[in-house]
Amino acid sequence: MVLDPRRYFDQIELGEEYESPGRTVTEADIVMFAGLSGDYNVLHTDAEFMKKTIFGERIAHGLLCLAIQSGLFTRATAPYATLGFGGLRWKFKAPVKIGDTIRLRAKVVDKKDLDTPDRGQITLDRTILNQRDEVVQQGQTDLIVQKRP
Amino acid sequence: MTAATYFEDVVLDQVKFTPAVTVTAAHVEMFQGLTREMAASPDAVPEVLPLCLVVGLGWRVKDPPMAVQAFVALDWKIVKELRVGDTMHSRSRIVSKRPLRDNGLIVDERTILDQHGEIVQQGKFTFLVAKRSKEAPA
Repeated sequence: MVLDPRRYFDQIELGEEYESPGRTVTEADIVMFAGLSGDYNVLHTDAEFMKKTIFGERIAHGLLCLAIQSGLFTRATAPYATLGFGGLRWKFKAPVKIGDTIRLRAKVVDKKDLDTPDRGQITLDRTILNQRDEVVQQGQTDLIVQKRP
Repeated sequence: MTAATYFEDVVLDQVKFTPAVTVTAAHVEMFQGLTREMAASPDAVPEVLPLCLVVGLGWRVKDPPMAVQAFVALDWKIVKELRVGDTMHSRSRIVSKRPLRDNGLIVDERTILDQHGEIVQQGKFTFLVAKRSKEAPA
């Protein structure tokens, strides 16, 4: 018998905290994300233009780092029995540059039942930090998590 | 100089529709490889992927793109799951403009719709947008 490694709504406690491994954001990440998303804003794609700005160089798409932290969450703790992603409230606080290493810190701050009895909503505070421990993005996410059958 | 829509040019309540994109298994594979954000089931689309695609679609409207200097905030709800093979497009409406000294804040209400016209995801983007006289990014 294979044990289900996923954690159900009932098993997740308020106040649990997690920290992910780091992930270095590369030029390849930014180029791939521009190709995938179609977001070719000069902020992310024009090195010469960006030399003349206060950033001094291209910066990563905010949504690239938001997506990377979502992946980092799966490396920070045992998987939740997640049924879906409900939404988020998010602030982009500082740029992420090529070569920066980001990691995720997360904390369970709310649990509530939903109308459908087999599931509940878990709200997490999430902070993305860089290698200097500066906050680059921060917000809350709502996950819909299955209850123990 | 690249044509751009500056803070002064942004029209409150103006509604714009983007072209559409069919979300394929290739999009999902690329996204998963890049981010390790996995789909919940084989035909499911990770919920953050349509959000990423909608920003790119915003660049494909006829008008020059906004002179965005920074993405400031995001308030977003997932309404319905998108599946591989679905075709999404978006509607945007500028709901707020707040001038600052050198630039301004724009709140753009975005809605992702599927091929049936049903709402898939919805929320508000806050952008820092350059004023015409201050083109260099902040």
